[in-house]
Amino acid sequence: MKHRLPFLFVLLAGLMHCGCTDSDSSRSETSDASGSGSTAGDSKGTIGYSALSLTNPFFQIIADTMTAEAREHGYQVTVVSANEDVARQSEQIDEFIIQGVAAIVLNPADSASIGQAIKKANDAGIPVFTNDIKYTGDAGRVVSHVATDNLQGGRLAGEAMVRLLGESGGKVAVLNYPDVESCQMRTQGFHEIIDAHNATNGAAQIDVVSELNGGGKRDVGYAKTRDILTAHSDLVAIFAINDPSALGACSALEEAGLQDQITIIGFDGEKAGKEAILAGRILCDPIQFPRQMGRRTIELIIQHFDGEDVPDEELIPSKLYYRADAETDPELQTSSSHEKSNT
Amino acid sequence: MADQRPNQLHRFVSGYGMIFVLLLLMLLFTILTWKKQTPVGADAGHTVAETILAQNAQAVVIVVAGASDVEQAFVQAAEQRLSDGGATVARTVSGNPSDARRTITSALDDGVSLTHVAVSGIAERWTVFDRFDAGDLGQRVSPQPYSWPVFAQTNNLLSVANQTAIYAVIAVGMTMVIITGGIDLSVGSLVALASVMAAIVIREMGGVNAGPGAMLTGVAAALGICSAAGGFHGVMVTRFHIPPFIVSLSMMMMARGLAYLIADGTSISALPESWTVVGSGTALGIPIPVLMMIVLYGVAHVVMTHTALGRYVYAVGGNQEAARLCGVPVRRVLVTVYITCGTLAGLGGLILSSKLATGDPKLGMMYELEVIAAVVVGGTSLMGGEGRILGTLIGAFIIAVIKNGMNLLNVGAYEQQIILGAVLLIAVLIDNLKRQRSGGVS
Repeated sequence: MKHRLPFLFVLLAGLMHCGCTDSDSSRSETSDASGSGSTAGDSKGTIGYSALSLTNPFFQIIADTMTAEAREHGYQVTVVSANEDVARQSEQIDEFIIQGVAAIVLNPADSASIGQAIKKANDAGIPVFTNDIKYTGDAGRVVSHVATDNLQGGRLAGEAMVRLLGESGGKVAVLNYPDVESCQMRTQGFHEIIDAHNATNGAAQIDVVSELNGGGKRDVGYAKTRDILTAHSDLVAIFAINDPSALGACSALEEAGLQDQITIIGFDGEKAGKEAILAGRILCDPIQFPRQMGRRTIELIIQHFDGEDVPDEELIPSKLYYRADAETDPELQTSSSHEKSNT
Repeated sequence: MADQRPNQLHRFVSGYGMIFVLLLLMLLFTILTWKKQTPVGADAGHTVAETILAQNAQAVVIVVAGASDVEQAFVQAAEQRLSDGGATVARTVSGNPSDARRTITSALDDGVSLTHVAVSGIAERWTVFDRFDAGDLGQRVSPQPYSWPVFAQTNNLLSVANQTAIYAVIAVGMTMVIITGGIDLSVGSLVALASVMAAIVIREMGGVNAGPGAMLTGVAAALGICSAAGGFHGVMVTRFHIPPFIVSLSMMMMARGLAYLIADGTSISALPESWTVVGSGTALGIPIPVLMMIVLYGVAHVVMTHTALGRYVYAVGGNQEAARLCGVPVRRVLVTVYITCGTLAGLGGLILSSKLATGDPKLGMMYELEVIAAVVVGGTSLMGGEGRILGTLIGAFIIAVIKNGMNLLNVGAYEQQIILGAVLLIAVLIDNLKRQRSGGVS
């Protein structure tokens, strides 16, 4: 026992320290953002947000926007990451219930398996909201779902592909991610447009010769693209259902020296993706608006508490984003000036 | 005889010193999570009604609460007590804020002159009341909050135990494997495989309407395939002398791949309602997974300390060659231990599947590491030959309590990983120091 005491003290000191620094940092954050004049005062309550994964910047943006927006309305947001693990996410919901949060927001780690956890929140009288990923089961009740119109976004990607290859036709590949409902919709929308094009244009057929699971990740997208290039040397374009897998595809093309032969269309419009569009590595993205998604989620929560009837689902339309858009995008200002000085 | 008592105490303290760490952690989080709580349910409804009656025995009241059963209990209790006390209950709402808006509006339109609104703890957070003139609503009365540590709430302690149960169940087998000097990296994948296997069997035998027979068949199939995987480990290790790390690493990949393959890559939730009884149910107020865990640890402790098998396990881990020369059936012991580990991983998978009402090939990611961490923090040496089953239980709880406490204190996700990593490292460090010390003595 004697020699375990130091361990104990280190552990306790670490925890105390951690608890302190955390509250310190959140306090300073509050003062930073409330500099505009909103009186923080007594919080109306906490909103718990279980993000699918905080390693994806998309969800970090949603988390930050929701935190800022909620603060305007007098609420705090507690952000946790499910790391794409539905069991962990359901534990996090348990903890939100025990902490007595006012509302729960989540991106279901599995569109069906999260049902029992949502039901528990329902039983505790806590309203549940989702964004980006929809809950598709019927065990639990979700007040409102806010997401990109992924089907429409997929159609935009298809239209961009038709604009690119409508005259010539050619072989294209798709890096999909069928594990997630939102990405299935993107592929579906893309195929609708390509099929419609092929039905009316006998001469310039766009052939989807390969459709592989890019995992929505950079490394997987890279590896799958390498395999696609090996199998189809005459490929002319790739549609990747999100920016990380599109960027993985970019690396594979550049490594093979095929970036002039093959054009990439991505999806998302995250910063790294927009930078790649500006640099001409990706042709264009149907972009999502995570800030708007986060803001609308909080607004719907406020309206719900205010006694308004809120819609079951709110879809935010996607928009095509080309190099011309990137050149005028304030988000890329610093990097674009850098780019210009280079050329 | 007189000497033996302090000696035993000393042994207990040095063996289970971690239990004091656990208790101190619990105490720490109890102090740090002191916070205002709001009473809920029928009692809260009763108290609110009493408060209103004390102010005005002829009160005209609307009772407002959320949509769940607990909230309905609040409404019923408040309504009952108010009517018994001579007050008028004009309307009651158990629903959404928008339902509250409609009900209050209709009451005011009907010319009801309210003196009070009785509001549950959940509904108290709603801002819908601000829409109305304070004069029209009368006084708003909600349950009096009381101060109590969030961590030490019965709900939270049960939830921590419930979350730990799955890891702890798997950790029993892992402890035995590690005591023999082996390792089993496949347990996380076996969790996924078991959940998928059971779900598929049940889906094929009736799905949502499947009976107990189908569920038992599903359980048997899941446990069967997982113990077969364990047996495979045992045979590979004993007959072909492949290191356990490699055997179980390949099983980790094969079992995960098989789970994805047979589930067609998606989760299966066509399961009957009664499938969730084990994972979400309680007996005597205690979650069933926790009861299973307690029973299992009782049995495992007896096996490891009072049976020949238990002694053999330690002997094999201490020195395999010496054990063999002393007549210990080394191969049989190893195969038994790996089968136990695989089966218990399957059991963990079934509990998880029942808890989430799903069979999902994505479940159990990184569980092998969580479970090994619990075993190591519990004082079992990765070198084999040393360790205690109950130590593992304490180790699992230490990790769970730290995680839960950090979540309740809103420690960020990234910081949590750093702290958990540090805890693991420190535990192993202590293990090494202890070893050096005892090495120096002998």
